[in-house]
Amino acid sequence: MKQHALCSDCEDKITPMDLPIPDGLKEEWSVSESRRQFLGRCGKVLGWASLATLFGEASFRHLAFASGPKPQPGFGENTLGLPHFAPKAKRAIYLFMSGAPPQVDLFDYKPSLALQFDKDMPASVRGNQQLTGMTAGQARFPVAPSHWPFSRLGQTGTWISDLLPYTARMVDDLTFIKSTNTDAINHEPAIMLMNTGNMNAGKPCLGAWLAYGLGSMNDNLPTFVVLQTKTNPKENNQPVSSRLWSSGFLSSEFSGVGLRSVGDPVLYLGDPPGVDRDTRRKMLDAVEEINRQTLAEVGDPETNSRIAQYEMAFRMQSSVPELADLSKEPESTWELYGPEAKEPGTFAYNCLLARRLAERGVRFTQIYKRGWDVHDNVVGMLPVLCQETDRGCYALVTDLKRRGLLDDTLVIWAGEFGRTVYSQGGLSQENYGRDHHPRCFTTWMTGGGVRPGVTYGETDDYSYNVVKDPVHVRDFNATILHCLGIDHNKFSYRFQGLDQKLTSPVPAFVVQGILA
Amino acid sequence: MNVAATVARTAGDALRRARLIPRLWIGAGCVGISILLLPLFFPLDGKPHADWLQFFGRFHPLVVHLPIGLIVILPLVEFAGTRRQSFREVAGFLLQISLATCVVSILFGFLLAYGSGGIGTTVTRHMRGGILLAIELLLCLAVRPSWLRAQRSRLYAILLTAVLMTLAWTAHQGGSLTHGSDYLTRYMPATLKRVLAPSAVSSHPNSFFARHIYPVLDTKCVACHGTNKEQGGLRLDSYESLMAGGKDGMVIAPRNPDGSLLLQKVTLPPTDHHFMPAEGRTPLTREEIARIRAWVLQGASPDAASVLGIFIAEDQEQARPPVGDYSAFIVEIRQMQQSQGAKLVPVSANPSDGLILRTADVAGTFDDAHLTKLQRFAPFIVEAELARTAVTDAGVETLSQFKNLRALHLDGTAVTGRTLGKLSSLSQLTYLNLSGTKVTSDAAAPLKLEPNLRHLYLFNTPAEPAPTADSGVRSIQ
Repeated sequence: MKQHALCSDCEDKITPMDLPIPDGLKEEWSVSESRRQFLGRCGKVLGWASLATLFGEASFRHLAFASGPKPQPGFGENTLGLPHFAPKAKRAIYLFMSGAPPQVDLFDYKPSLALQFDKDMPASVRGNQQLTGMTAGQARFPVAPSHWPFSRLGQTGTWISDLLPYTARMVDDLTFIKSTNTDAINHEPAIMLMNTGNMNAGKPCLGAWLAYGLGSMNDNLPTFVVLQTKTNPKENNQPVSSRLWSSGFLSSEFSGVGLRSVGDPVLYLGDPPGVDRDTRRKMLDAVEEINRQTLAEVGDPETNSRIAQYEMAFRMQSSVPELADLSKEPESTWELYGPEAKEPGTFAYNCLLARRLAERGVRFTQIYKRGWDVHDNVVGMLPVLCQETDRGCYALVTDLKRRGLLDDTLVIWAGEFGRTVYSQGGLSQENYGRDHHPRCFTTWMTGGGVRPGVTYGETDDYSYNVVKDPVHVRDFNATILHCLGIDHNKFSYRFQGLDQKLTSPVPAFVVQGILA
Repeated sequence: MNVAATVARTAGDALRRARLIPRLWIGAGCVGISILLLPLFFPLDGKPHADWLQFFGRFHPLVVHLPIGLIVILPLVEFAGTRRQSFREVAGFLLQISLATCVVSILFGFLLAYGSGGIGTTVTRHMRGGILLAIELLLCLAVRPSWLRAQRSRLYAILLTAVLMTLAWTAHQGGSLTHGSDYLTRYMPATLKRVLAPSAVSSHPNSFFARHIYPVLDTKCVACHGTNKEQGGLRLDSYESLMAGGKDGMVIAPRNPDGSLLLQKVTLPPTDHHFMPAEGRTPLTREEIARIRAWVLQGASPDAASVLGIFIAEDQEQARPPVGDYSAFIVEIRQMQQSQGAKLVPVSANPSDGLILRTADVAGTFDDAHLTKLQRFAPFIVEAELARTAVTDAGVETLSQFKNLRALHLDGTAVTGRTLGKLSSLSQLTYLNLSGTKVTSDAAAPLKLEPNLRHLYLFNTPAEPAPTADSGVRSIQ
């Protein structure tokens, strides 16, 4: 058996620098080790090393080292060599329709279904698709055509539901993907897959990847902001949690920063009475000093994140009030967004805030709107949901466009999956329900990097299967990264011995057909 | 003894033997001449005839290259003959073989044209060229013995030159038939092209049709639907003829791509009998079909400059000269990035993409003096993000020195527009945002004359155009 180098006669000369570990880790070691820790760890290392010789040299390589390149916090220096190529978009705004909007009622026009009312959807169309527990026991799958008429609009002649009169005005600016498809049939795994590229929690989300990869454009505001829309208690609100904007295994400074939808956007933002800016600064300096000592002692990168976050909070004390102060908005803003936008927490307000964040250089803003989970009473609830969101979407895109921001901002509208063409529960002339459907759903994008006026992908007559140009969630995310100048195949972070990517492990492809 | 001499002697022997049977020669001559006269008895009528005609006809492209090769080498061998007698005899043999194969090619060519119903000026020219070539070769054959006797006779040399020229012209016509008339000019450098091949669609040279539809038709369709041939009575070599349609009626139905015969034919399964382009020619790509479809859907206009939903990179971006290498300054740039204040950020990992001047986090305090300090980096800065900074009209004058500037954000600044005229020195500037400034329409007027400035934003300024549509974007045609 081959002797390991560490087990030769010269045991007293061994340092961690001799170990077959990544250079980054050695560097970290040399900076942050105290003598005692070094000796302590040396003993362990020797133990591991001798164990490794017992198992053979190869076992060493399987030890999990999280050793991705460490970007400096703050001040936007990019050590990753990103973007890979000149990007069309510098920032993105993601309008997330949590709960899954029904594509058949909004975008995916199927006029032939009118004749199919209450007829069973052919089993051949459904194929081997797994159904949710909510409809799996149903005796029949009666086709429920959309309750609302569609209109053909714009110079591109795009069909769109009359439920979306505002979105209808901008169809020529949008890029519709009718063939988006996913793997999951339930909300949590699906929304996880949409955001992090993986159904299981623990992976970084799109926004965290962007914050990590592209860095900040304005050190006074978070790189990645999450805005939640106030829930409407009448709607079927699926939970969204901070797992969706988590940085996963990336440093936690890349997590999304949530701005509150009620009251102050950030709590305790103002200094309490008797504490002025200087006092606050001195306090933070002292805390930082202590944190740096801990960092020197323990060498945990999360301490670095903590220091960065204290500093960010200090800067946000002045930047956020300015951000949330809408008093200087011209009258045209309110004409566009509607009076609803004056009320914090509404979708329209969040859209306006997203525009203001984009203006101020926030890299990624994600707006969550919950309540799209229309299992029953589609006819009752869908108009409410559309009315809550339609104008905000239109106002945001139009506002970005007239202010010259749409040229380098990518706007994305998506839910986590689609909804079935057949009715969940009873179908009547007046009402129906729609269950989860992963095989196809409609999303749209607009702005920097995508081609306006395109409808990409086609579904079959039942809006059930993709018949042309499928776009998997991974392809969707790869395309977003492409618009921001990132080659998704080259953008990875080593964790648990694997080069982890937003789009891995199944190969993903940038959707060339929608690129500008 | 060298090979050439051997070949020459063998050939010479064969010829001597041939002279013993003059009847055979007379027969061959009669057949040859009747082949040359074929078009007189069977004029090309544009209708396809028996399949066996085409079967043999399709050997024309195979056979035709034999006389071409022989004729091209003939003058060389004649020249070599001035040095060595044996080449003389080879040349004589070559000339005879050339004539014989030429006549055979003409026969096959005629079978092809007659059998397939090919018709059109190029077909006619190609055919006449071939016949003329055969006659010239025959004359050469007749004149050559006297040329051999009296070296001074120029007639043979003149005839030989004529043969070569006729050959070149005829071959070019044939090439045009198979590869399309723009085969040679397609990738010609633009300057040369302007002199040699002026555009066929001149009425609206910048229209979407002229730039993106016509070239597709020209390469993929015009070989059979143009001046060369007019299959199905349809010509696709101009906007008017495209819209006029053919024997089966209109081929383009504006706003109705599914009802347009042309789109129906090119989207059939390639195995379908009616699939176009026919006869195994290169089908249209999906991209090309998408362009035609979108163009038809939006009215099939002869002059519209763009079609929604179709993005063609060359429309948007002219080749941008790469920005110089800033690696000499990289230490300074890094320092700037790590300290408070304005930053210079690479556009991408590729240094020739240049730098972005980013001021978002110090916007309130960044003023003209700071801008002046950055002037030495000017050659590398392609985008200046100066929105909501304290930059004023004086700063705009400084910016006019930033020669590689492509995008300039001045929205929400105190710029009045007094010095905007200076920006005309920025030939690469395509994006200028003046939203929320006090710029008046008079001040913005010089900008509207800049041809490259395609994205000018004047939202919320005195210069904002009256709201016609939903946006404050002014697009320059």
